[in-house]
Amino acid sequence: MPLTDRGRAILQRLPAGAFSSVGSTGCEIVRHDELCVGCGRCATACPSGASSRGDTFDVNQLLDAPEDSRRGALGAALRRIARHDPAGPIPVPERVSVYRTIVYEAEKCLGCGTCVRACPAEAVEARAPEVPA
Amino acid sequence: MSATAAEVKSAVAPVTGASYEAVRAAAGNDTAERAVVAFCCRECAYAAADASANARTPLPPSVRLVLVPCSGRVGPLHLLSALAEGADGVMVAGCLEGQCHYREGNFNAIDRVAFVQRLLKSVGVEPERARMFTMSAGEPPKFVAAVREMDRAVRSLPPLERRPACR
Repeated sequence: MPLTDRGRAILQRLPAGAFSSVGSTGCEIVRHDELCVGCGRCATACPSGASSRGDTFDVNQLLDAPEDSRRGALGAALRRIARHDPAGPIPVPERVSVYRTIVYEAEKCLGCGTCVRACPAEAVEARAPEVPA
Repeated sequence: MSATAAEVKSAVAPVTGASYEAVRAAAGNDTAERAVVAFCCRECAYAAADASANARTPLPPSVRLVLVPCSGRVGPLHLLSALAEGADGVMVAGCLEGQCHYREGNFNAIDRVAFVQRLLKSVGVEPERARMFTMSAGEPPKFVAAVREMDRAVRSLPPLERRPACR
């Protein structure tokens, strides 16, 4: 269930990582960047600011994307003319919004799974937390 | 007296033939085929291209014009597909900054071309193969100069090598 505005306001008043002392109560979030379409809905939905749109783009995300996706088509075109493997992430101009790698900071993450529900591409996976024996 | 078809042909042919040869000669001794795909904004660059064609200004034979409603329509996929499918260079020609008919389409195009340049650079391809030009509809000479500059830039580079498309 998505957070209400009131709930989000309460969470934003807390310092980041305030829940870390509680231990692993939330889900473990696993990102599959090759499936990401860069829409940024996880960053918009995230209540604690753990996911955000970065300023750089990892070109390998295009090359590893599924073939029938738009990023996959870009990757296929790039692979045909590439002379060597991509040399690290590239900085992204201001007005290019989609081709950005989402930055995920695990230490800020509450494990609430909001990003999983927000993702249209099933690129974010929530795994059950490990229960200490 | 009406002109016969033969007379019309003889009147027209020398003009086009001469201008084509002149362009070929200006291209130098490099006979390798090159192709430049120019994405032209309907409001400015394409109108400028139209006016330059009416004035019979010869364009380099390498250039292929693609009409787009706004330079902001052009995305990275257009530019990269053109390069992957046979173009040696791509150019986007849009309105002057601040004069886009859709307010900010050309600013988007400028940043997207910059993004494609960085993409090309990161995989070892010359970033000069993608370029953005801005002009107004009343500047046909500027359009011709842009196309010639792009043609010259592409000719100074080796032909772009491509791997076959993997299926």
